Amino acid sequence: MSQLGKIADAVGTYNRFVAAEVDRARADAAYAAELRARWAGIRSAVGTTQSPSGTPLPRLALPDTDEPGAIAEYLLGQGLPGEFPYATAAYREMYLDTAARTGEEPMRLFAGLGLAEDTNARFKYLSRHQRSLRLSTAFDGPTLYGLDSDHAGVLGKIGEGGVAIDTVEDMGRLFAGFDLTRPDASVSMTMNAPAPVILAMFIAAAKRRFGPDRVASLRGTIQADMLKEVQAQNEVIFPVDASLRFLCDMVEWCVPNLPRWYPISISGYHIAEAGATPVQQAAFTLSNGFTYAGLLRDRGASVNQFGPRLSFFLDCGLDVEYLVLGRVCRRIWAIGMRDVFGADAKAQVLKLHTQTSGRSLIAAEFQNNLTRTAVELMLAYVNYTNSCHSNSADEPFTTPTERYALLASHGQSILLEESGLFRHTMNLFGGAPGLLALERQVESAILGVFREMDTLGGVIAAMEQRYQRSKIQESGHRLETQIYSGERPIIGLNKYVSHEPLPHVPLARTSPSKQRLQVERLRAFKRKHAKRAPDALQRLENVTRAGGNVFGELVTTVETCSLGQITACLTGVVGQFRPMV
Amino acid sequence: MAVAKTPRRPAPLRILTAVPICDGHDSAVTTINLELARHGIEIIYLGYHQAVEAIARAAVQEDVNAVGLSSYNGGHIVFFREVVAALRRGGNGDIPVFGGGGGTITRADERAMRRQGTDRIFFAGTPLEEIVAAIRGYSRPARPNPRFRGDRVLARALTIAESGGRVPAVKRTGPGRSFVVGIAGPGGAGKSTLIDELTSRFLRHQPAGRIAILANDPSHPGSGGAILGDRVSAIYAQDDRVFFRSLATRGSLTGLSAAAPAAIELLRRSGEFDLILVESVGVGQESDPFRSFGGGQPLVDATLFVLAPHYGGLIQLQKIALLNGADYVALNKCDHPLAKVAKAEIQARLDQNGRDQRLHATTAAKHFDPGVDALFSALAQRADLAPAAGGERPCRLEVTP
Repeated sequence: MSQLGKIADAVGTYNRFVAAEVDRARADAAYAAELRARWAGIRSAVGTTQSPSGTPLPRLALPDTDEPGAIAEYLLGQGLPGEFPYATAAYREMYLDTAARTGEEPMRLFAGLGLAEDTNARFKYLSRHQRSLRLSTAFDGPTLYGLDSDHAGVLGKIGEGGVAIDTVEDMGRLFAGFDLTRPDASVSMTMNAPAPVILAMFIAAAKRRFGPDRVASLRGTIQADMLKEVQAQNEVIFPVDASLRFLCDMVEWCVPNLPRWYPISISGYHIAEAGATPVQQAAFTLSNGFTYAGLLRDRGASVNQFGPRLSFFLDCGLDVEYLVLGRVCRRIWAIGMRDVFGADAKAQVLKLHTQTSGRSLIAAEFQNNLTRTAVELMLAYVNYTNSCHSNSADEPFTTPTERYALLASHGQSILLEESGLFRHTMNLFGGAPGLLALERQVESAILGVFREMDTLGGVIAAMEQRYQRSKIQESGHRLETQIYSGERPIIGLNKYVSHEPLPHVPLARTSPSKQRLQVERLRAFKRKHAKRAPDALQRLENVTRAGGNVFGELVTTVETCSLGQITACLTGVVGQFRPMV
Repeated sequence: MAVAKTPRRPAPLRILTAVPICDGHDSAVTTINLELARHGIEIIYLGYHQAVEAIARAAVQEDVNAVGLSSYNGGHIVFFREVVAALRRGGNGDIPVFGGGGGTITRADERAMRRQGTDRIFFAGTPLEEIVAAIRGYSRPARPNPRFRGDRVLARALTIAESGGRVPAVKRTGPGRSFVVGIAGPGGAGKSTLIDELTSRFLRHQPAGRIAILANDPSHPGSGGAILGDRVSAIYAQDDRVFFRSLATRGSLTGLSAAAPAAIELLRRSGEFDLILVESVGVGQESDPFRSFGGGQPLVDATLFVLAPHYGGLIQLQKIALLNGADYVALNKCDHPLAKVAKAEIQARLDQNGRDQRLHATTAAKHFDPGVDALFSALAQRADLAPAAGGERPCRLEVTP
């Protein structure tokens, strides 16, 4: 049995344990009394507050029961916020008015366009009203594929869909004017195959700007999830084993040297966007997470040290399963980490970032996308996501323009700050019968996928047999067929169609002169370092061949070499990824 | 030897589909591929993150009716223009380019793209029937065209052979004497990967030579369409010294397209290729596809049988006819836990044959695998491929496919 089978078993065992405890609470008077006393203590500790219209409210909503079986069921099956198995929430208090004062803010706005200075300006615009500094970066195609902007055939792609980063100097321009060492600052980067190179550039740029001593205070996340790239998103450069090695090197380096950094964000977003069902998204994402945990453990890293540095990223669409997806994922992760990996409490908590679904947005009558995103935001926050990005309504056409990016940001503020749904009481929705029924169904379906992959030999073996890819493609195809047939109503597309012509939407595009400027900057950098670069690349090659920590060397290599030069050097050593259909 | 004539039947359209460089969004294109194949069209799928030159090269070698590009992360105006320009530069401007990109390609973009040579853009929400009907409009007679140059001449001759027409005489353009290797094995044994790795060795060892690959893949029995996806994982075929052609079986049950004998003969006669690798569809027990044509005359100069360790035990092994006939046997996926036992069992099976059949243990999925090196050396020796003066030259591999 692979690790995945053991995890599915552990969840089953835990569920049977909860059921037995419920029976015991009902049969054993002493246990019942103990539970009642504990429950009374919990309830009396809940503070009170009131709505602006004067309705008194508890700060935490708990099941209104005194029955020992129900108490056991809640405490063990769902858990108080911030307590095992974390179905309710990862932390004790989230989103409440009082929490806002502590400076933690869930909103992240993903931005990236044009050259570094353009994205820098967008960051400044979006962070004007933020209570804390949250910068989330999208990169352009050439950067995502580890290519330099002067690579043949990529000119039109420079600065499209994200920012163009070729060198450490671009990285400096990207974050100019922001104090990233502030305690409430956090930077997120959606970057995968070249993640080690890009993070090394980030560190090198921060050293230049803030001094080497302050690097350890940098906080943020880099996606670096290569398994989901092979399964769904297709931004892969190196063969799988080499990709995973570079990733583990980076994680191992970050744990002691960047203690506030999340060096991997295990992502279901792209799996769902490629067509997976919500259950498949959760099953593949969690199983990828357990695979990373296993790889790092097998390299000798301590699960209690790297565990708290793993974070997750899920898509949230309009399907009903999204009402509970985050809750179910937290529960499975906690049980698997505790009972299979022996992790301590901090390493059991699944920290979740959510993004509303890009695939759910359509071009026809695109202003309806504001409503779609608003509903998805609501679903994401009902799951107590730790952070969230809301998409812009104009995304079917373009990288978000300022106007719609701001509307997307205000959507979150309206939900969290203007509406009363999340300001006063934690867990306003948890425990509803529909939610519980869905949770059970979704959990059991996820474990079913785990068992299927287990019979194929685990995640990586299944991946080599194209299991995840075929499942995702099959679901994507079914989804399209359902849209064509009308079985899935899409307002404005296959239902209530107005046939109004597509609107004239302003586009955020990168001008050819800017694209040429990026190429000129890169060439100037290469000229400046022409003498030192070959030695730096030779050292990188030596470390890679010798099996050393590649990331530790990259932090130096990026001082004199461009992204494309480094990619070519590493490909020369480890070979090139062979894509799967 | 006379080129065998193949029976005439209506030839399906052949369409090349791909996603542009630095773009991994393949959800739309895989759905379209499936739907077009379901409507009887042969799709040659090149994959995502594809460079302009790779698309133009594949379009020429596959002699497709049209090229379809699915672009979702911007830069489409420049990219489509460059694909059209690359086709025109090689005298292949007759191959139309169409595409789509959901909402990312605006009406204004479309007008600019059409002015620059793109034939058609399909917008979000276009009914599938409309797309299929438009693509059917790319049908054209398979005839020789005196204006064609280079690989396109050969590619068109292959199209004519495939459609059952009279195969034209192809001018001998190279001096070479070709050595043809037929490669067969059960589905999932890793034939395509092994062929690609052999290709990389060829490019490295033969600095001036050319290699041809004929990849046979099954047609869908109902619709007659097919998704020919071997190019996706053929990363070393991105080189002008590699001529890669995908052949759908179109109802032939032998493991090869009925046009394969004519195609092999055409490739041989061109004199262009030092080595020709012919990949059968997944076969094993029943027959040897390379000896079942031309009245017992072998189609190929040597045969390579590829299998993976999970063939199902000794009894299954006894039934595999190809193990009797194959000149070379490769046990691939040797990183599999069963490989050690498999190797001993197969060796014992080959010893029974009492012929000089060498068993090669390979792990083609591993880059720079020494087992593949040894297999290539054996084939090169048999094919009499001498390293050119000046020794080895690194293959012209780009960082990206």
